[in-house]
Amino acid sequence: MQGEPDIAGVQDAVLKISGLSKTYLMGEVKVEALRHVSIEFFTGELVVLLGASGSGKSTLLNIIGGLDVPSEGKLYFHGREMTAASEAELTAYRRRSIGFVFQFYNLISSLSALENIQLVTDIAESPMQAEEALRLVGLGNRMNHFPAQLSGGEQQRVAIARAVAKRPELLLCDEPTGALDYQTGKLVLEVIEKVNRELGTTTLVITHNASIAGMADRVVRLGSGEVTEDRRNLARLTPSELVW
Amino acid sequence: MNLLGKKLLRELQYLKGQMLAVAAVVACGISVFVSMSSVKYSLEASREKYYNRYRFADVFLQVKRAPEFYRESVSRIPGVASVNTRIVADVTLDVPGLDEPATGRLISVPEYRTIPVLNDLFIKNGRYIEPGKPEEVVASKPFLEANGLVPGDRISAVINGRKKELVIVGMGLSPEYIYEVQPGAFFPDKRRFGVFWISRTALESALDMSGAFNDLSLTLAHGASEKNVVMRLDNMFRRYGSLGAYGRSEQLSDRFIADEIRQVGIQITFLPAVFLAVAVFLLNIVLRRIVATQRNQIAVLKAMGFSNEEVGLHYLGFALVPTAAGSVAGTLLGAWLGRSLMNIYADFYNFAELVYFFRFKDVALSVLLSFGAALFGAFGAVRGAVQLPPAEAMRPDSPVIYRPGVLDRPSLQKKISVPARIILRNLERRPWKAALSVLMISLAVAILIAGRYTYDAVECMVAVEFNEKHREDVTVVFNDPMPPSVAYSIASLDGVLEHEFYREEPVRMVSGHRTRRQSIKGLQSAEGLQRLVDRNSRQIALPPNGVLLTSTLAGILGVKRGDTVRLEFLQGRQQQREVLVAGTIDEILGLSAYMHIGELNRLAGDGGAFNAAYLRIERTKASGLFSDFKDMPGVGSIMMLKALKESFDELIAESMTTSTLILTSFACVLAFAVVYNGARISLSERARELTSLRVLGMTMGEISFILLGEQALLTLLALPLGFVIGIALSALLSVGLSSELYRLPLVFSAYNFLFAFMVVVLVSAVSALAVRNRLVGLDLVEVLKTRE
Repeated sequence: MQGEPDIAGVQDAVLKISGLSKTYLMGEVKVEALRHVSIEFFTGELVVLLGASGSGKSTLLNIIGGLDVPSEGKLYFHGREMTAASEAELTAYRRRSIGFVFQFYNLISSLSALENIQLVTDIAESPMQAEEALRLVGLGNRMNHFPAQLSGGEQQRVAIARAVAKRPELLLCDEPTGALDYQTGKLVLEVIEKVNRELGTTTLVITHNASIAGMADRVVRLGSGEVTEDRRNLARLTPSELVW
Repeated sequence: MNLLGKKLLRELQYLKGQMLAVAAVVACGISVFVSMSSVKYSLEASREKYYNRYRFADVFLQVKRAPEFYRESVSRIPGVASVNTRIVADVTLDVPGLDEPATGRLISVPEYRTIPVLNDLFIKNGRYIEPGKPEEVVASKPFLEANGLVPGDRISAVINGRKKELVIVGMGLSPEYIYEVQPGAFFPDKRRFGVFWISRTALESALDMSGAFNDLSLTLAHGASEKNVVMRLDNMFRRYGSLGAYGRSEQLSDRFIADEIRQVGIQITFLPAVFLAVAVFLLNIVLRRIVATQRNQIAVLKAMGFSNEEVGLHYLGFALVPTAAGSVAGTLLGAWLGRSLMNIYADFYNFAELVYFFRFKDVALSVLLSFGAALFGAFGAVRGAVQLPPAEAMRPDSPVIYRPGVLDRPSLQKKISVPARIILRNLERRPWKAALSVLMISLAVAILIAGRYTYDAVECMVAVEFNEKHREDVTVVFNDPMPPSVAYSIASLDGVLEHEFYREEPVRMVSGHRTRRQSIKGLQSAEGLQRLVDRNSRQIALPPNGVLLTSTLAGILGVKRGDTVRLEFLQGRQQQREVLVAGTIDEILGLSAYMHIGELNRLAGDGGAFNAAYLRIERTKASGLFSDFKDMPGVGSIMMLKALKESFDELIAESMTTSTLILTSFACVLAFAVVYNGARISLSERARELTSLRVLGMTMGEISFILLGEQALLTLLALPLGFVIGIALSALLSVGLSSELYRLPLVFSAYNFLFAFMVVVLVSAVSALAVRNRLVGLDLVEVLKTRE
């Protein structure tokens, strides 16, 4: 594991994780998904979390997103300890501060693109207009389409719009291109990059595709439940420059 | 067990809530069918057995007084098998422990039980009368039990003006009085009316009836015409004050039993049909969902080489196992329910032996029907599974396509929240399923409404009969017509506040080829103690001329207002008169014909008489009056309105409570099964969406709203529909359950609707909660990884 990033303290840490471990009991086998992970994420960063399957990257994302609780260690969100939060507080945390983008989009099939976003903006505190969010992801002309009428890439862009519409402080993307072809995947990454750049949302992209790392400010690699690499890119590539 | 069998069992275990709900619906249907069929058969068989064994007569006749040698003449009428003559008299009784007078019907029996007699006695307790002991009587079981009397007790009666002490030696029952009710009344009052069998010799001497009889009954030879025999009897006894001969269909007790059996028959068809329909629906939606979620597994099974038949049978198992479980439970429940119902019948009806026959034929039929329904319900879904090519089954089901619907008009959209739109779109997407769900829930509502309707109808019947129609306290019926002078002596009794007399005259009413034995009631007025009130509580005026017929009687005679009918007076001068039908009245109970007493006297062609009096009495002087009545000569029977009402309330309370309880529980099962399965299927279809919403920050409450709102909306839509179906069903019931004896008024209390509303909402809430608990267990992490 490498040392703390040298710019710590210069930027605000949105998330501070210290000594985080997660042990699952799979039947009678104990699985250590995370082992004493300590890491910080800073405002406006676009971080790519790399790792093979079983490296613990999803577990980390789930704990960061308030979907799971660690076995050990602490997680602070703006200095507030989230590992001690109640179920209701975790719900409120997800509602206000976290934007999720799933691998399989998880749109509500009975709601149009616009309504899928309104579903979130209706319960958020100071969201952007749902239409504005759709325009941001380039789907201003597909507002009233239902998920079944949209391509996979379009659905994922709706999902991104849904995630960012509430202006979250943290955007968590779990294998956002995992279910998409190359071209469409790139298009989606462009949207994520744009959101990060234009809105300044701290963005975590989980992937097993190392080629995507090029678009990040910072690349964190996980292996066997530990951070094996934490580096900064000298320059971010645009998604269109990525090749895989 | 093969592997598919194991798979089936484990998955049934996983789906046990839904499967139990289906099984419960099947069980309800089977139990109703089995119990009602058994009850119907048991009643019929018990009646048959009772009638045969105790030689219940086929034709009956009451006369004023006829010489005994006519017995011989009657037995020579072609078609007559055996004849029995008797002396029957109604007398006033002084029952120990009872303030008010009771009425006893004395029936003569031979002193020696050597030859078989008709309408024979079944001695339940004690013994038959002994020869040479005129004071000995056998008394009817309900009367003895209601008054806590046993053989050995004594009771005094006023027979022909003389007070006589009777010794009860036995407790008996007769096929003539399976439904034991006082003449002129419709509801039994066990405490104040009893039948007594007494030595013929004793009664002959007490009533000066030596060598004569006033009651005749006979059995018909096989294939004989009842009509012909009745005609011959009427001719033969016209001059002896015959009231007209009649068959079993006009014998009150038999009439009640026959009606009861017919009513049970109606219930056999209706309720099980509802439950079967719901079972078909539930199995259909549950199986469709199972097949949909197991597309991949179906593909794998087929790829592994399982045949279409094996796959089909496997999925049919999901329908057959709960049906089998429901059949077993339903049969057991039905056997128990049938026995309980028979116990209630045993309170109402006095059979020598009320045998409960549990027939496996009924079980077999209902189980067969249920399996047929299950296969029908499962067929569509299983066919889907069988026909699915493996390669296609491997692919996920094509995405659900939603399109803007009627609710998507911009004006409407703004008013509907996004979560509510999810609910509405789901309903809009499968309108048939939604409509059927609404229909099924509404059936539960309808069963509740119709179940309580009979309760309301009886309440209304009681209110009309006891409160609106009759305002008297006591009715005194005389054995013979009394001259007007008696009126004054009654009116002057201490404690009589109001009095009103009426004349009841037996006639034969004839219109064309239609004829009916009927008594005409001549009233002094219809504004005093007795009023004319129809089943909708409307008061009808007594016409000054002509006759007012109840609608049912007018229907039987085929006449309407403005027509004429011929009245053939059966007694006195036996006048024949044409009379105008002045109107009809839709009364609740029985068949009646009303006239002004003056008009009746004129038509009868005599100086006028009356044979009964309505009295309103002063409460404080009641006991004095009662003891006057107990000693008054010529009094045939005395009816106490209040006592009659109390006795009826008591009688009806138990049976109504039981049937309401049964129907309410069944309706609850129905509502629960439909709502719970609906919600479970929604949950299974939408678990992923709902979990995503949880991840996006929605609270449990918000996603519960989306999941359960649909069921809530269906339930709310089902309520008014259920009310409408319930009313329609009640209307059918009111027609089906009505007979010449009574017509159920179509009335509903607000409480009925409120009760149905509360029960269904409560049951829906409980089933919704049961499903909501499953929402808590949804794995938020899993959903991010899986694709449906």
